[in-house]
Amino acid sequence: MEELKQKAAFALETLKALGADDAQVSVVRGDVEEYTVDAGEFSLIRSVFSQSISMKVIKDHKKGAAAVNQLEDDAIREAAAECMAAAQSGAEDDAVAIADKEENADFEDGALTPDKARFFDSLIQFTEDLKKEFPEIMLEQMVASYSGGRHVFANSNGVLFTEHDGSYSVSVMYSAHRDGVSTSFNYFDLETTDPGARLMDLGMCRTCFARAVEELDAAPFDGKFLGTAVFAPGCMDDVISVITGAFSGDYALIEGTSPWKNKLGETVASPCFTLSVIPDDPRIVCGEKITVDGYRSKNYDVIRDGVLQAFCLSDYGARKTGLTRAPSTSGAVEVKAGETPLNELLAGIENGILVCRFSGGEPAANGDFSGVAKNSFLIKNGRLAGALTETMISGNFAEMLKNVRGISKETLCDGGCVLPYVAFDGVTVSGRTDGIEATEDE
Amino acid sequence: MTDININALMAGCCGHAELRLQKSAARRVGVVGGNLVSNVSATSAGASARVYKDGVWGFSSVGARDEAAVKRILAAASENAALLHSRKPKNKGPLTLAKPAFYTETRPPAVVEQKKLVDFARAVDSHIQKTYPALQSRSVGITVNCIEKELYTTEGTVSYQLFPRVYVIVSMSAETADGETVEVFDVLGGGYGYFDDHYDDPAALYPAVDAIYNELMQKKEGVFPVAGEQLCIIDSAISGMIAHEAVGHTVEADLVLAGSVAAGAIGAEVASPLVNLTDFAHTAFGERAPLPVYVDDEGTECKDAVLIKDGVLTGYMNNLESAAHFGMPACGNARAFGFSDEPLIRMRNTAVHPGKDKLEDMIASVDNGYYLTKTQNGQADTTGEFMFGVTMGYEIKNGKLGKALRDTTISGVAFQMLKTVDMLSDTVRWDFAGTCGKKQPMHVSMGGPAIRCRVNVGGR
Repeated sequence: MEELKQKAAFALETLKALGADDAQVSVVRGDVEEYTVDAGEFSLIRSVFSQSISMKVIKDHKKGAAAVNQLEDDAIREAAAECMAAAQSGAEDDAVAIADKEENADFEDGALTPDKARFFDSLIQFTEDLKKEFPEIMLEQMVASYSGGRHVFANSNGVLFTEHDGSYSVSVMYSAHRDGVSTSFNYFDLETTDPGARLMDLGMCRTCFARAVEELDAAPFDGKFLGTAVFAPGCMDDVISVITGAFSGDYALIEGTSPWKNKLGETVASPCFTLSVIPDDPRIVCGEKITVDGYRSKNYDVIRDGVLQAFCLSDYGARKTGLTRAPSTSGAVEVKAGETPLNELLAGIENGILVCRFSGGEPAANGDFSGVAKNSFLIKNGRLAGALTETMISGNFAEMLKNVRGISKETLCDGGCVLPYVAFDGVTVSGRTDGIEATEDE
Repeated sequence: MTDININALMAGCCGHAELRLQKSAARRVGVVGGNLVSNVSATSAGASARVYKDGVWGFSSVGARDEAAVKRILAAASENAALLHSRKPKNKGPLTLAKPAFYTETRPPAVVEQKKLVDFARAVDSHIQKTYPALQSRSVGITVNCIEKELYTTEGTVSYQLFPRVYVIVSMSAETADGETVEVFDVLGGGYGYFDDHYDDPAALYPAVDAIYNELMQKKEGVFPVAGEQLCIIDSAISGMIAHEAVGHTVEADLVLAGSVAAGAIGAEVASPLVNLTDFAHTAFGERAPLPVYVDDEGTECKDAVLIKDGVLTGYMNNLESAAHFGMPACGNARAFGFSDEPLIRMRNTAVHPGKDKLEDMIASVDNGYYLTKTQNGQADTTGEFMFGVTMGYEIKNGKLGKALRDTTISGVAFQMLKTVDMLSDTVRWDFAGTCGKKQPMHVSMGGPAIRCRVNVGGR
């Protein structure tokens, strides 16, 4: 770590010597040990030895940035000169800034030393468990890795944070196959600090694989209805990314396109809906310690009991809009679980769909969306009524959030987030029916 | 080219091995609402080695390109291959290139000054702000990439290639009468080469900027399409996405081996006899392809991969291993993005071939349907199901264009939808600004004519 601190100090000195008013640097050195499975078989072991330095500089209220993956003094000098040149060519903006000094800190988290042999054993065990428990599942691709490293963040205001961490992650892409019939692919990620973890027991592995097997009997749905969409935890990301981006992110608020731009402190969702960013939570593996701007990362609520508590603004976005900077830039989120078991939640739905993956275009700024409900199931009279193909859903995310019918007791906790099933009313579900005739149903 | 004695260092490799020395430079400038929000120059350079052993691979990379770095990664890659072979052997025997490839770029890599990019973006932004002050939002982005690759293999392939690409994206949004936001964006100019090859005077882009504004005003008054299967003219700007997403991914051999819909379908009729589809290596329809690739990252000389001929599935896109598995020629589809990435089966310049119809005749042939002109993103499934976001389009009523459309989605099953194609326009248009995601990003181009087909349209 001392060497990285020296590199950071040298870069800051170089930038200041070139005339920077303010400067910040981030220096990273790390290793990745990765194992790949393709079409059910181990195919590759990959070792990556990496390092990089990224810089931001402010000169006369103009910002420049540069990054390079060499840490030799000459490379740092060259990158610093490019960074300054970028700033000098920039435009004045009073909102550009670097982090104020708080209390400096050193962080250590996770598996600092890799146990590669044990992790490899766990991966082999996982593939064997899968073959035994779910023989119809094809592991289209699995990429599993240990990532560990050291990070120094420093700026010319005296901010100095160091991080040393490491964790094991697994990304699984799978589908089911039987007698020439294949399902849509689906995927999930897991993250842990335990190299010997029984991976099949983590996250919602068994639920995901069991559903894929059920999808072998999927059929198109003919018709169209306005009903309830239950988003499975694995695809709640699609809803959350709209909340944190199009509704409360930097550009949406700077440009004024957010439908929530004047709604701070107001009700934007049903009272049962609470969304929090939780980098500092024991359920999150190696959560964010320092924001991208160089502040200590802290948990916060975006929406509490349906009321908008905070926007997801960076330091720049906050200064530009006059609003408050978000206490974290982490993507680790929690939607507060409900009290209702999933089967009871489904039991109350007359016409609906369980959406396990959403494949759609970028939602419009106002939250309008449409796309294909992949790996999904029809809900009819309170029960799952078969897997679907070629079914589209459409609606408006802002309206959906105000129409939360219920939230499940069960949650997905995969090391990166804590998410339940969420049932939204007012979603249009359309199957393979000829659209011109289907207008009669509206 | 490096002066390291690569042959001597690779002599210790027992089977097929690749060594790649790479430098990637990227510059990005973004002006949003008049604010310079992105002004970045990034460079990464390093070396990687991949070693094959009886059906499994070992790979290693490091952010340096000197002799010590090369020795380190060759050793690490060999150890990784040996470890995997010892724990999960495949015993597939040796793998080798049919013949080594040789290619050397004659043009040197060039770097544009950041100031030039900033000034250009601000000039375009200033024009938009002055000409169209009532917009809700506007942005101008410039992306410049230059990837430099040296590749060596144990069979003797030696290649030095450059992959320069540049483009400008302009986006505008406006508020509708009911308080909703609509947006239109487009890529203005650019393509293979350096910034100065494509851009000089910002004013040259103003007609295209004006066209975006006109579309935005139409979309502001737009309607939502009726959901369901519809007869559509998919413009040439979108049909490339069909080539890439709807078919291309399903015929990547690694996905075929994982059970894609194209498995076992060689020789099958998968499209209308009017449909021909090729993944072009470096030359397409008599001209340089938008993103030419001459030697892939396994050392194979690149050739066109003919995927669909007269409606019949004729081939897959392969790497060396899958080509041997399927008994097909390797056409050079193994590509890696960063120096620390291993080669994967990737597309290059994938396009539907043109037909003989005129676009205006195609529109006139539709009584009730849609003309879809712009897309934002797309995804495909190994089953052949696909989805594209459509950001611009029009109703067609009685053979004439009607109201503009709000954002929607189209979806379908590739080999079913392609069988409904009954008209193709005589003009191909390419999109070269695409970045495909498949473990790693990859710069790809895609193209095609306007096609008439039946496709599922998402409504509101």
